[in-house]
Amino acid sequence: MGFLNSPKWIDVENWPISWEIGGTSWFPFLESIHVIAAAFVVGSILMVDLRLLGFAAVKYPISTLSKELVPWTWGAFVIATITGLGMFITRAASHVVNPAFQWKIVLLALAGANMAYFHFRVYKKLAQWDDKNPTPLQLKIIGSLSLLLWSGVMLAGRWIGHII
Amino acid sequence: MPDFFTSIGSLLDGSFLQSGALWALSTIPGFPPIIQTVHILGIAVVMGSVVLLDLRILGIAVPSQKISEMTRRLMPWLWWALASNLVSGAFFLFGRPLRYFNNPVFGWKVSFLIPAVLLALFFHIMSTREECYWESSPKRLWSARVIALLSLFLWIMVAMAGRWIAYAEYIYYPA
Repeated sequence: MGFLNSPKWIDVENWPISWEIGGTSWFPFLESIHVIAAAFVVGSILMVDLRLLGFAAVKYPISTLSKELVPWTWGAFVIATITGLGMFITRAASHVVNPAFQWKIVLLALAGANMAYFHFRVYKKLAQWDDKNPTPLQLKIIGSLSLLLWSGVMLAGRWIGHII
Repeated sequence: MPDFFTSIGSLLDGSFLQSGALWALSTIPGFPPIIQTVHILGIAVVMGSVVLLDLRILGIAVPSQKISEMTRRLMPWLWWALASNLVSGAFFLFGRPLRYFNNPVFGWKVSFLIPAVLLALFFHIMSTREECYWESSPKRLWSARVIALLSLFLWIMVAMAGRWIAYAEYIYYPA
């Protein structure tokens, strides 16, 4: 367990910027931006996921929704990542061994893999059912996985603070 | 804090609502983080409904969707999300009423929430009056833009203030 128990994480906590964030109003400020950005990540991808499931916005082609909404998801994700890192460095050593944090990273990776699968494997074949509803099973699975995984990321993220 | 506000807190403190909420929060395993997540997912739906609509009205998101169609489709999601957040929030409110009703940051949250809800209600009701109500004249479109900008600001502040409830001492009682 060299990586997770490495004293390097303590060094991270002792960076001047970590002390600056952890000991001031910067922490709640970053945290509130983090929550808003995370909510926007889920809120913006929600319409796409529900469209994939055939529950909402069925009048719009999947590619149009995806093109217009996913950039917002990414923008919000970048903000959530920056603010998240800002909070992470204040207690890096405890976060890396926190099971909720570990779950969050795993679920985040799975949500990313699901998105990548959709964009690189499925998206090209989209033309045939782009404006169709009901959608094929494959798209329904991708949409449900996205909803489940992002909700899981939120739950694990929220749980971090209950363990520390 | 206004007196009526703090008196709501005193009224709830020690009531059966408090004991019920505390029972759920302390007995059901993982209940606090789960119910907080439900609350944040509700905020996500607020972002995906009214906030997205505001961005559309301001001309910076989802250009292929029409304002009137979006309003009709998305506003019910907002009302359900707010109902859900009222329930999920109530567990914490009832559990420790004095922590909220004596907290000026919670007062801020409510002060942003009420106009945000009223504005959304007004926008939604007017949109049902006639097809394409908000797009039918330049004057209405500009009113919609002003409403959207205000609404965007208010909803962001509701979420912001919500998170800062736990940090009231940073603002009001700095070390």
